[in-house]
Amino acid sequence: MAVTAGRPNRGALLPSRVSALTGSRAGSLTIFIVRRVLWMVPIVFFVILITFFLMHLAPGSPWDKDAGRQLSQVVVNNLNAKYGLNKPEYQQFLIYLWNAIHFDFGLSYQYSGKSVIKLIAEGWPYTATIGVLAFLLIVPVGVGLGVLAALRQNSRIDYITMGFATFAASFPNFVIGALMVVVFSVLMAKWTQRAFFLPAADFGLDDHLIMPVITLSLLPIAYTARLTRASTLDTIRQDYIRTAWAKGLSERLVVIRHILKNSLIPVVTTLGPTFAFLVTGSIIVETVFNIPGIGRAFVTAVSSRDYPMILGTTILFSVIIAIANLVVDVLYVFIDPRVRLT
Amino acid sequence: MRLSTRIRAVALASAGLFLAAACGGGGGTTNSNMAPPDKQILRANDGTEPNSYDPTQQTYSYEAAVGRNVFEALLKPNAELTDVKPAAASKYDVSSDGLTYTFHLRTNAKWSDGKPVKASDWVYGYQHLLNPALAAGYVDPFFDGTIKGAENYGSIDVTSASAIDAFIAGLGLKAVDDNTFEIKLQHPAAYFKWVVTLWMAAPIRKDVVEAAAGGSFTSSDTTKPLAWANDAKTIIGNGPFKISEIVSKDHVTMVPNPGYWGGAPHLQQIIYYFIADGNTAYSKYQTGALDIIGVPTADITVVRGDPVLSKQAHLYPQLTTFWMSFNSTKAPFDKAAVRMAFAKSIDRIKLTKDVRHDTDQPIQSFIPKGMAGYDTSDNAQAYDPAAAKKLLSDAGVTASQLNSFKLLTRNTTGSKTVNQFIVDQWNTNLGLNIQLDVIDSKTVTSRIRKGQFDIYGPDGWGADYPDQQDWFDIFTSGACHSLNWGCATIPGYDDLVKKANTELDQTQRNKDYLTAHKMLIDNAVVAFMYQAYEYDLVAPYVNITQTSFDDQNLPGDQNWQTAYITNH
Repeated sequence: MAVTAGRPNRGALLPSRVSALTGSRAGSLTIFIVRRVLWMVPIVFFVILITFFLMHLAPGSPWDKDAGRQLSQVVVNNLNAKYGLNKPEYQQFLIYLWNAIHFDFGLSYQYSGKSVIKLIAEGWPYTATIGVLAFLLIVPVGVGLGVLAALRQNSRIDYITMGFATFAASFPNFVIGALMVVVFSVLMAKWTQRAFFLPAADFGLDDHLIMPVITLSLLPIAYTARLTRASTLDTIRQDYIRTAWAKGLSERLVVIRHILKNSLIPVVTTLGPTFAFLVTGSIIVETVFNIPGIGRAFVTAVSSRDYPMILGTTILFSVIIAIANLVVDVLYVFIDPRVRLT
Repeated sequence: MRLSTRIRAVALASAGLFLAAACGGGGGTTNSNMAPPDKQILRANDGTEPNSYDPTQQTYSYEAAVGRNVFEALLKPNAELTDVKPAAASKYDVSSDGLTYTFHLRTNAKWSDGKPVKASDWVYGYQHLLNPALAAGYVDPFFDGTIKGAENYGSIDVTSASAIDAFIAGLGLKAVDDNTFEIKLQHPAAYFKWVVTLWMAAPIRKDVVEAAAGGSFTSSDTTKPLAWANDAKTIIGNGPFKISEIVSKDHVTMVPNPGYWGGAPHLQQIIYYFIADGNTAYSKYQTGALDIIGVPTADITVVRGDPVLSKQAHLYPQLTTFWMSFNSTKAPFDKAAVRMAFAKSIDRIKLTKDVRHDTDQPIQSFIPKGMAGYDTSDNAQAYDPAAAKKLLSDAGVTASQLNSFKLLTRNTTGSKTVNQFIVDQWNTNLGLNIQLDVIDSKTVTSRIRKGQFDIYGPDGWGADYPDQQDWFDIFTSGACHSLNWGCATIPGYDDLVKKANTELDQTQRNKDYLTAHKMLIDNAVVAFMYQAYEYDLVAPYVNITQTSFDDQNLPGDQNWQTAYITNH
């Protein structure tokens, strides 16, 4: 159980004095959560600091166009004044921090007159819907396939499952997405005289979701299945499992109570970051299926040097990742009784 | 401006090309075949969402595709692109000294909320455009040598409301009465009638802007005056269509403006999708979910080989020319003969055939086919490798002097494929060993702005309006770092162009521009390469009726009033 042994170190940076004072596990859990949430403040600060200066280091200004006649210097000067870019960078940074504390993340440069908050609020629901649906698909399918393969190791089921996982993990998702569009939209429309086919693009709370969700979840499913299989195989060989079999427990009980509970610990570890990755959007999926989410908005912001939008999305992503990790750490307490949060 | 991201812009060769319904009806598609009103829905791919729905803030062609339908300028180009014709103004007068333009507005023009369009709305719209605090991207043609009082545009303190107020009050804009809008100029400018065809010079409703701002604001405020354009309900325009719905980054829906003076269109809904990936749009088109798209370069051959799709695909000429720039501040590119040697060693026919799949057409002059000033009589840049080699040796330039040069290239598929071909041409025909320098697009722009390059391209220009002034200004020395990247100076060029710009005698004016045209070609200021053509798929049941120079991003998008959907 090398994996779990390392886990409690996650909170090692934090002073352990507080938890020593409180005896009850629930109390220490609350304090742990509060402390971790407070830790997000310096984390976000450093994320802003690093992102701010890195993006200003990147060559090119937000007003440079990709071809053709550039804006005249007169217009560029006015734009710089309009967005405060004529001030020294450290001042811009302090102003940004001050505004960010007040939850004012500024105006997008690219979308004149629109606030970053509004742009994120417009795009994130799309991204999150697809991300959450993909997650709901990944957990049962990935874990299920992994356990199935492990319990029937070296059987045909194992080979088929792992073959699928290898295939899904090695095909880039833009290829899978594009292939699915060709088969299930274009060709299907052709064959059925447009009577039945999946929509090739756009967001909608209907069959529009099928291909984006599958495309987004294939790689994590493959990864989760392989991890679950490896971890389950590891657990199956433990002495206590042999004991469980020996005392005549049913397969169901052995698998669920004894094997799964232990073998899922490393899987849970990866599900946190996976969740964060899913709900922050995939540029590939959002581009191939033309979903107006924030994954694409972030990449567009970077390439157009839309500084406030880059910062706004980066802050959002860092908070999501921090929360996902926190949730994973809290989940340990319930999965593994040996874990003590300090 | 138009040439950014997606080069689509403009245009049409010569007299408006009439598209005889792609369905092969051979022009015989009559109104009897018109689909019922509930089927009059057009779905097209506009590529990218407008950065703003405030016309004064727009600069790109995909923005104009919306802006020009929701707002109508004072005048617009005629079908032949030879002169302007009435639009929001039913007629206009110019004073004998060429300094005062009086626009007589249509008395029956109405906003999309039913109120009459007044001259004061025009004054407010022009003031909104020229407010330096709002930093409109494409304001230059309105202050640079045109509107009186606007010449100080660049020196106003944008943080001072009083300075801005004084500047705006001093502009030569006046509502003489409700239907008469008067503009005074700094100097006579024969091309000003073209400037007022630009869509960013639109009337704007002061009461709407103020209500949407959610509170009072001063003229130095940079956000509140733009809030009205964020909501479909408050985007009140004077154009033939109005916006009924905006789904950010996904699509915008336009429906007829019931008060438009020009009558009701056939189309009941125009939906512009914002699909950035050409392949996605192509897939969607093939499932029948889109009616007009641009064919992605990679799929051109597939479309041509497809018995069904090939009949739906059409070439639409653009008033756009592409070229290669040489940094003339770097020896030996300061010598016109060296630049000419490079210009003469590009096989443009092979380039357009092999690399551009026979869509774009070779050109070795500046002004594109289809507008005033088009002239191919000067063959100085024609492909002739032997003559090119001789030019180099006569100039005493050796390969070793040129081999360290790099061709600065944007990391887009289009730029890379064109430039790989061009470099091969130079290396083969001139015996050189020049390399590509492929860098991300923003970095390329920042380098060329500072003059940090040897050779750069392809870059080009798409007409804002079909007047030579829009083109020849590009290569004046004053424009050195905005598109004239190479900064080659030709003695007498600046003065000649300035003279032609203000010349009121059209014959003399054309003559002067023709001389300037020859100067550009003979001095190989740049190496002209090709005129752009759009290759688009149009569903057979869409009757575009008319495409024109006015088209911004889609064939026919400036004549949606007459377009219709046929039964299918």
